[in-house]
Amino acid sequence: MREFEFLHPESVTEVLDLLETYGDRVKIIAGGTDLIIELREDEGPENLEFVVNIAHLEELNYIRQDAEKIYIGSGTTHSQLAQSSLIKEKIPALAIAANSVGSPQIRNRGTVGGNILNASPAADTVPVLIALDAQLRFKSTAGERTVPLHDIYIKPYKTNISSQELLVEVAFNKLSRSASSSFIKLGRRNALAISRMNVAVILDQDSDGVITDLRIAPGSTTPVPSRIKIAEEVLLGQKPTPELIKISGEKVSEEMINLSGYRWSTDYKKPVIETLTRRAIQEALEGRG
Amino acid sequence: MKTIQLNLIINNQQYELQVDPNLRLLDLLREELDLLGTKEGCGVGECGACTVIMNGQTVNSCLVLAGQAQDAVIFTIEGIQGEGEELHPIQAAFIEKGAVQCGFCTPGMILSAKALLDHNPQPTVEEIKEGISGNLCRCTGYQQIIEAIQLAAEKMK
Repeated sequence: MREFEFLHPESVTEVLDLLETYGDRVKIIAGGTDLIIELREDEGPENLEFVVNIAHLEELNYIRQDAEKIYIGSGTTHSQLAQSSLIKEKIPALAIAANSVGSPQIRNRGTVGGNILNASPAADTVPVLIALDAQLRFKSTAGERTVPLHDIYIKPYKTNISSQELLVEVAFNKLSRSASSSFIKLGRRNALAISRMNVAVILDQDSDGVITDLRIAPGSTTPVPSRIKIAEEVLLGQKPTPELIKISGEKVSEEMINLSGYRWSTDYKKPVIETLTRRAIQEALEGRG
Repeated sequence: MKTIQLNLIINNQQYELQVDPNLRLLDLLREELDLLGTKEGCGVGECGACTVIMNGQTVNSCLVLAGQAQDAVIFTIEGIQGEGEELHPIQAAFIEKGAVQCGFCTPGMILSAKALLDHNPQPTVEEIKEGISGNLCRCTGYQQIIEAIQLAAEKMK
């Protein structure tokens, strides 16, 4: 186990002061389900001196709504997300994704903020939040700023967030009443599986069945998480047919190969992501997710 | 390393401890307090052998720093018997149904079962499977474990 000092601040303000003083000598710990493994394997930042606990800070732990948006505190656990009646009603795909993380024990500790900032390509809540065009609110002693989730990722496990900033909130616009969402994950088994690949879909149709809004966000597919616009465009403004849904899935794999190149895993990933996308669109169409 | 002052309640007993800052909750229980019922299996949160109940919820004690348990209320397998030290109904049901083979997963499995039944006293088989999905039994005695949890739920009605 790495050696460090353990700090237990009583408020977000105190955390921000510590971040200002110690900068990249600090690692923030919330759920710890990724960080403790790193530290135990003597990995993690070279100049680490302090581990600052935020898991106990109630001011980071909430799920709220107003007329337009839903706001989730960064310290909200996956269990809380999965069990929230607001999330289950308004955006079931997010509850399903949160409930597919690890195991009950992991979900009781791991937080949405950690899932986002650990920047694992296999993060389960991230594709849904990308599909929701979620915004992140960061605080530092200098003030606060709001950034689209989509803009923070540089490469797997790497974000452009400064060591002085604390993620405090994730927010996204509510969907229209007629919209539906789905999340499908492929893992080696149902419990405790890290996603091989996953995909989130949000979809809306008008009264004639024409698709008016479609967002397709796969995980473990592109170098950084992103909506696949060329796949969405296939169905936007159209009435869905099996043929169009199939083409949309193929556009996702086309984009994957464009961005990541043809790799040893592509023969496997190509048909899998096409199928997952097709199924996720179908599930959203059936309003099941 | 600067030690930290830790106040917490484990198995209904108040502790005030001075511990290393990089201790895991699992190390605190086993190495400092000699509560050896909590097992270390994988050490990375995959097997659930180190499961304890912290503030009413199961956690992998290998993935919690001791300092994060400040002011927490914790139950380990040593703390779930009744006041007269009689076995908890889940423990009794595990014996009755033969749900213990090598026994390494048993403490964690029983605590996951307890957390499940505390929140959901009459779970379906699917809910039981979900409830123990974070606990691996390498003897693969899952059928008896599920039956034992069903029996315990019945007895605890």
